[in-house]
Amino acid sequence: MFRSDTAPALITSYNLRKYFPIRGGLFSTRIGDVRAVDGVSLDVRESETLGLVGESGCGKTTVGRLMLRLIEPTSGHTYYHPSPETVAKLESLYATLKGGVGGGDGDGGTGGTPEAQAALKDLDEIADQYSLYRMKHSKMKELRGKLQIVFQDPFSSLSPRMLVRDIIGEPLAIHHAGTRSERAQRVAELVQEVGLNPEHLWRFPHEFSGGQRQRIGIARALALRPEFIVLDEPTSALDVSVQAQILNILKKLQSEQRLAYMFISHHLSVVRAMSHHVAVMYLGEIVERAGTEDLFSRPLHPYTQALLSAIPVPDPTLKRERIVLKGDVPSPAAPPPGCRFHTRCPAVMPVCSHTPPPLIEVRREHWVACHLYPPTGGEVVGVPIPFRTTAVGTTTVPQAS
Amino acid sequence: MSAVSQPLRDASPLPTEASFPLSAPAPTTPEPIPATTLSSPVVLDVRDLKTYFFTYDGVVLALDGVSFKVRRGETLGLVGETGCGKSVTAFSVTRLIPDPPGRVISGKVLFRGIDLLWGLDAEAKIKINPKTGRAKVRRSFRRIKAGLERMSAVRGRGISMIFQEPTQAMNPVFSVADQISEALILHQGTHLVDEMMSATPDAPEVLPAMEALVDVTRAGGDPDTARRAAAKVAEAVHLPSFGTQSFYLVRDSELSSEDMVRRLQRGLRRTYLSRMERRYLRYRRKRMVIEDELHDLYLSEMREGRVDRRQRRILRGRRTRLRLGGFYYGVWGIRGRIQRPLRDEAFWRTVGRLEEVSIANPVQVAKGYPHELSGGMLQRVMITMALSVEPTILIADEPTTALDVTIQAQILELMRELKTRIGTAILLITHDLAVIAEVADRVCVMYAGQIVETARARDLYTHPLHPYTQGLLASIPNLERPDKKLSSIPGSVPDLIHPPEGCRFHPRCPYAMPVCKEVRPPTTVEGAEHTVACHLYKGTVAVE
Repeated sequence: MFRSDTAPALITSYNLRKYFPIRGGLFSTRIGDVRAVDGVSLDVRESETLGLVGESGCGKTTVGRLMLRLIEPTSGHTYYHPSPETVAKLESLYATLKGGVGGGDGDGGTGGTPEAQAALKDLDEIADQYSLYRMKHSKMKELRGKLQIVFQDPFSSLSPRMLVRDIIGEPLAIHHAGTRSERAQRVAELVQEVGLNPEHLWRFPHEFSGGQRQRIGIARALALRPEFIVLDEPTSALDVSVQAQILNILKKLQSEQRLAYMFISHHLSVVRAMSHHVAVMYLGEIVERAGTEDLFSRPLHPYTQALLSAIPVPDPTLKRERIVLKGDVPSPAAPPPGCRFHTRCPAVMPVCSHTPPPLIEVRREHWVACHLYPPTGGEVVGVPIPFRTTAVGTTTVPQAS
Repeated sequence: MSAVSQPLRDASPLPTEASFPLSAPAPTTPEPIPATTLSSPVVLDVRDLKTYFFTYDGVVLALDGVSFKVRRGETLGLVGETGCGKSVTAFSVTRLIPDPPGRVISGKVLFRGIDLLWGLDAEAKIKINPKTGRAKVRRSFRRIKAGLERMSAVRGRGISMIFQEPTQAMNPVFSVADQISEALILHQGTHLVDEMMSATPDAPEVLPAMEALVDVTRAGGDPDTARRAAAKVAEAVHLPSFGTQSFYLVRDSELSSEDMVRRLQRGLRRTYLSRMERRYLRYRRKRMVIEDELHDLYLSEMREGRVDRRQRRILRGRRTRLRLGGFYYGVWGIRGRIQRPLRDEAFWRTVGRLEEVSIANPVQVAKGYPHELSGGMLQRVMITMALSVEPTILIADEPTTALDVTIQAQILELMRELKTRIGTAILLITHDLAVIAEVADRVCVMYAGQIVETARARDLYTHPLHPYTQGLLASIPNLERPDKKLSSIPGSVPDLIHPPEGCRFHPRCPYAMPVCKEVRPPTTVEGAEHTVACHLYKGTVAVE
């Protein structure tokens, strides 16, 4: 699914699945599954940002946590720094499987053709060697320094009993990075990097505002010089003026330290400002993935189109036609058959209710999972976009510098 | 009594056909209420409102001289960062400030000319020690209670409110229908009872209408025809809610046609009132009328600024006598049976209201409990509850903050539609400038307990004057211009126990001048409907 002629992938996931059991009945047996993530493949490239958007409950956060192995997946694999050969081999193996085992089911499938069986065995071998989820804990611990996360809620992600100095220094202490004085020096550096003062080191989290706490969270994530940071809605608890401060810091750090981000958010304007690529999730699946400009100017999937048209524009002189989706997101415990979006889709067809559409590359670097776009259709120029913005008057926003 | 009772709403008739979806079958657009102009009457006029919170650390000057006006049918947006006093403004207007620690100190809240804060000075004596900044508050709880009782005359039909967290604003132990029914019976009870009493279940055209409805539904086809047929039934019975009831009864049932008609007739049973039920309804109506008269009395007291003790005594005496006289209606065992028709009527009306806010399966939702619904659904239920009484003013405190963009779009669409249909004035409180741009006609920008700029929405976004407004607008990531670097306002909202002297924004202001540190800038007029409080502008001082 991924190309080899672009920037190398830093971290790649194949067919991630996470089912949370629903327990009930006598003896709390498993009576069902919440399919939080159901077959997600993603890659994040070096020093680039992948935006992950979707409504609440669509599994964004779960994907973020799976990619860091903060939770174990039901199936699927994630590879950190895979070599080009490995990627090529994985690609060909998954391509074989798509033909052999129905629906492109990555692993765990039984039966199928002998080739598929062989492919499964090969996949298992590669996974044993490289997959994050098969790594020993000692090896994983080394990697943890390279893979970090900034949490959504700055009020509950910092221990109220620790000084800021200890919070930021804790990852360093756990990984025995340097001597005590070196660690203290690094903490002082980090605090400067995120725009706090050294005097803040001797305070407790409750003495800070939301924006400052989020800075502390970022400093903690940066402590071990990571290469990949999952930003799980880092600004959704903050005011716009403070949000801008945090976003600017994140951008500055990315350009200075060549960080790769996965930016999880439901706020599309922020995602557009931050990301190089965007993946849109709906009910545990990726429905569209493209470069940011491409996605925002020519969205293909009806869900993406509705999502984009629903964003309020901070300018009363612009009016846009709006697609208002009917109803709510269906429960992930009993997702609709076929295309999961067909219950709310404005362009629903008979085929949508029984066949799930595969994620296919309809344009260069633009994947979409929708029956509107046939796999052998040649170059898709883009459907007429049913929403557009029209300027009603001229706009000049003077900037306070 | 008639001398003191002036109706709360404008001379609009009680909600009858216009707001009832079944009797208006085709999606007709009722004549739109014209966009607000300068001549629209002011329904809410807040002047120099000051609200303080008395804490152990000192006095928090949460609101320090807030003034704004809301006109009929207008949406006024109130924006600002967290902690700038937006919600405190809403709570001060409705007198919901938790006391202690907070109190409205001074100012006027004129609701259609009636000062809602009348009698405030007598409620508590406040002494602030200028040296230590500590305050002593001596409250008169008798007077506070009286003041809150007076407010009940305004809450609901006058001012309705939607709260930020729908999950916390609903009561978890009552069903959705129970909670909306309560509001309906409380505020539109007399109207409801009158309609029930004048229903005509025996009319000759009822049976053919029912047969037509069953036939249409059984034949399949689009629900609109079925709705029209149900509306015919309702017309025949002279009870709108029976249309809703029969529509859902027929739709959700598998019975054969003859059985279904019989089932419908059994459903009609609730409109044949027994003698006891009629007596109970008449009794309830009397109590509702007394409550209305008391509310009118409270309003006239607030309008005239004095308490009419004699009239109060008379009305309260009547109320007490009525309560005592009707005790046997509340006796366990008979209570459930006699109150049933009223409850059913309120239930089916609730279902009708839920339909209006485009809830897909209103019967199940109405029977359900708050925890069974998603956030977006609950927020729609809250809106139904707030608007079911057709208030003059709707205060929406961050109505979409907890929701996803697609659901947010649904809710905003709904509020806009209801505004044009009912003509409610909306005070929309949010920190999201994009939401404000979508729905507001005028905008007030708040900073640290003061309003720094007021303008028509378009003017504010094209020509923001106050440096704070400019900073806020520049810090929004704009979908249309993604390449622009985000600028941010340095620093954060000041501590309101020791707010900065002079202009409260000066420590963060890029244009701060020496005068800003000493003198609080007056609010000046800088254009049509555009006022700003900043030393950079030298317009004429606005008259409050």
